[in-house]
Amino acid sequence: MSADLSTDAEITWCPGCGNFGILNAFKKVVKKLEDKGVDRDKLVISGGIGCHGKIIDYVGLSGLYSIHGRSMATVQGIKLGNPNLKVLAFAGDGDAFGEGIAHMIFAAKRNADITVVVHDNGTYALTTGQFSPTSNKGFKGPSLPQGNIEEPLNPLGLLLEAGASFVARGYSGKIDHLSDIIVQAVLHEGFSVVDVLQPCVVFNNTYKLYNEITEIISKPAENFEEAVMLVKEFRDRMPIGVFYKVNKPVFHREFYGDWNPVVDKVSRNERLKLIEDFV
Amino acid sequence: MKKDVFTYIIGGKAGQGTKKAGIVAANFFTDLKREVFQMNHYPSLIRGGHNFSVVSTSTSKIFSHYMKADLVVVLDQRSYNLHKNHVAKNGIMVFNSDKAKGKGISIPISSEAKKYKNSDLIEGVAGIAVLAVMVGVFKKKLDEIIKKEYGRNVKDNIKFAHTIYDAANEKIVNKIILKKGDKKFANLSGSEAIGLGAAATGLDLYFGYPMTPSTPVLHFFAGNGKKLGIVVVQPENEIAVANMAIGASFTGARSMVGTSGGGFCLMQEAFSLAGMVEAPVLFYIGQRPGPSTGVPTYTEQGELLFSLNPGQGEFPRIVASPGSIEEAFYLTAELLNLVWRFQTPAILLSEKHLGESSMSATINPSKTKWAVPVMHKGGQYKRYLDTKDGVSPLLFPPSKMLIKWNSYEHDELGLTTEEPELIAKMHDKRLRKQESLVNYLKKMHTINRFGKGEPWIFTFGSTTMSVLEALDYGDINMTVVQPIYLKPFPIWELEGYKENNAIVVEQNSTGQLTSLLREKAGIEIKASILKYDGCPFDPIDLASRIKEVVKVEC
Repeated sequence: MSADLSTDAEITWCPGCGNFGILNAFKKVVKKLEDKGVDRDKLVISGGIGCHGKIIDYVGLSGLYSIHGRSMATVQGIKLGNPNLKVLAFAGDGDAFGEGIAHMIFAAKRNADITVVVHDNGTYALTTGQFSPTSNKGFKGPSLPQGNIEEPLNPLGLLLEAGASFVARGYSGKIDHLSDIIVQAVLHEGFSVVDVLQPCVVFNNTYKLYNEITEIISKPAENFEEAVMLVKEFRDRMPIGVFYKVNKPVFHREFYGDWNPVVDKVSRNERLKLIEDFV
Repeated sequence: MKKDVFTYIIGGKAGQGTKKAGIVAANFFTDLKREVFQMNHYPSLIRGGHNFSVVSTSTSKIFSHYMKADLVVVLDQRSYNLHKNHVAKNGIMVFNSDKAKGKGISIPISSEAKKYKNSDLIEGVAGIAVLAVMVGVFKKKLDEIIKKEYGRNVKDNIKFAHTIYDAANEKIVNKIILKKGDKKFANLSGSEAIGLGAAATGLDLYFGYPMTPSTPVLHFFAGNGKKLGIVVVQPENEIAVANMAIGASFTGARSMVGTSGGGFCLMQEAFSLAGMVEAPVLFYIGQRPGPSTGVPTYTEQGELLFSLNPGQGEFPRIVASPGSIEEAFYLTAELLNLVWRFQTPAILLSEKHLGESSMSATINPSKTKWAVPVMHKGGQYKRYLDTKDGVSPLLFPPSKMLIKWNSYEHDELGLTTEEPELIAKMHDKRLRKQESLVNYLKKMHTINRFGKGEPWIFTFGSTTMSVLEALDYGDINMTVVQPIYLKPFPIWELEGYKENNAIVVEQNSTGQLTSLLREKAGIEIKASILKYDGCPFDPIDLASRIKEVVKVEC
């Protein structure tokens, strides 16, 4: 692993892409986590398919470059295999809120100890700008040139209702703030989601808008109802920060406590004895 | 003709305890050191409908149930109507006179059962009491059996059983004394054998979404996983099942998933991912009749061709199908070894008939091997190191080295590539892995041959058991050839067969094994015996069909 977390991969995002902000924020995250005692070799990442997924090639951390909509399932499998690892899934809005929304809802429901960072640019950019689950009504793309006829999803509201124990929103234009949020998300034991507002310079350039309307909130909501109200605000004022954080039983611990399948494996001899008893 | 077979059928509504009675009968025969085969037939519902369990037993090897029974016990009219032709010559039909009219021995089972609480569930016990009378078991022994097998309401069950016993004892004249065998076998279901085989090889995690007929494997691990150190996870859908299993394999955890055809459709995307990232995951498919929802609780072999090429793209795939419950144990163990040896997904293809039937089996767990991969030995780590045999050493996190698995075409480090040279190079690597796999299989036991004589019968999966029993029953001397491996197809074992007379027996409507034999091995089949009504073959019926086909076609 290289000290500066880089790889030999050529970065192919468009100049000015919001993904750069997320990449830079994430490199800071890894260093901040190391300061807090989380070794980088214990941090494993996954990603879906789309512009966001390229981050897996660009970050010098171990991981599994998964398929569209499935990185959330991939990291849950990694966590269940070896709970000593910290796992983080990158996903696009198409991955997390379209193709793989079932995995998001159920990861929140079971409070799987994973972090999902959603590169939410409101468009399917790598396939040339079709509308996505979070595109505004009226958004024009090549698959619906007359404009999107659907209302955008409120994914954070949905995930709160599903049982998410850590819900946050960041902005790729505010790198330090974003990295702070992701650090908190990774350190949170349980399901954490960070919806990152990410301008797409080619198909959905929201820099000007987000610079104007994003507003950092100083502390999470006092209770669930307040959090539900807070995540609904995304028209005139766009709050960013940690909206909701609560401690709840975590899936793998409820399942097998501190036991670890790959570390505490039952020996072959013991297994064979048990099988002989069975037959 | 096979001697010494005794067959017992018990039929009734779901919820009346017919399957349980079948299990109790099978355990009783096992205690007599006889061999057993038990088949459970049930519709896709929880209460009502028609269920039956058939248990055939012999002092020698028995591979199938028979649909001609020495004793039939039916609890309702529907069961009577369905089974009235399943009584063997000199066999006995005992029916519940409260719920059915007909010929045979009538006993008012329901009105006796109504005297107790939970009376519906207790009716299955009547079937055991009648069996006890038929085979000359004394009441004292019957009491022991009920105590051992029926945990709840023991007192009531015994009292009820005695009433039925006395009623049956007056009416049954031609009793049968069952000869004792000389070896006590374990009575294992196919699903248990699959679970045990995986456990013996070092399985760590089993992922499954309930789908008949694969669910018993999920339940096996749920019931026995804890002490074996095997985690069982039931995620939101089959897509999550397969992707989580791949994620778990990234940590070095031995992972397996189970489903049926419909669920496997949803897993194909992940199956292809496993091929590309070179994830070692074992997929169990329990077949039922399709297409679509089909007939969930019945049996078929309609997914053979489907299972040979799932997922997009070209990568090494392994498919194998066990021909007996013992083989299900060893083959599951072998496949888990193979996926870790070659880092590619494999399919254990079976059917409801194997997964949900049980039979006498001898398994020796120490004959299996712990699945161990080729590991990285030091120096800079490259996940997709371009080796001679195409197999790149593994390394698991946490590690100071970078471990990158990639669904995109990639370089040796696992970084995405669109370079034409690299694309071809990585295809070549996976192709070499395919060649290595074939060479490896050439040294393994990939095909079963049974018996002698011509023409030959090709078959696969659980139908092998039906064929073997039919030949035994019908005194037919033919060579049975059962390819265990279906992909890579062991053509090297079949080269000598081309010029011979051969027929195929399989449970589907289009002759999928016939097509495979023609395409892969150039073997022309004279005739096919097919069955596609959802029910397994009856050896008596199959024996006469084989004789007929051989007479006409060969």
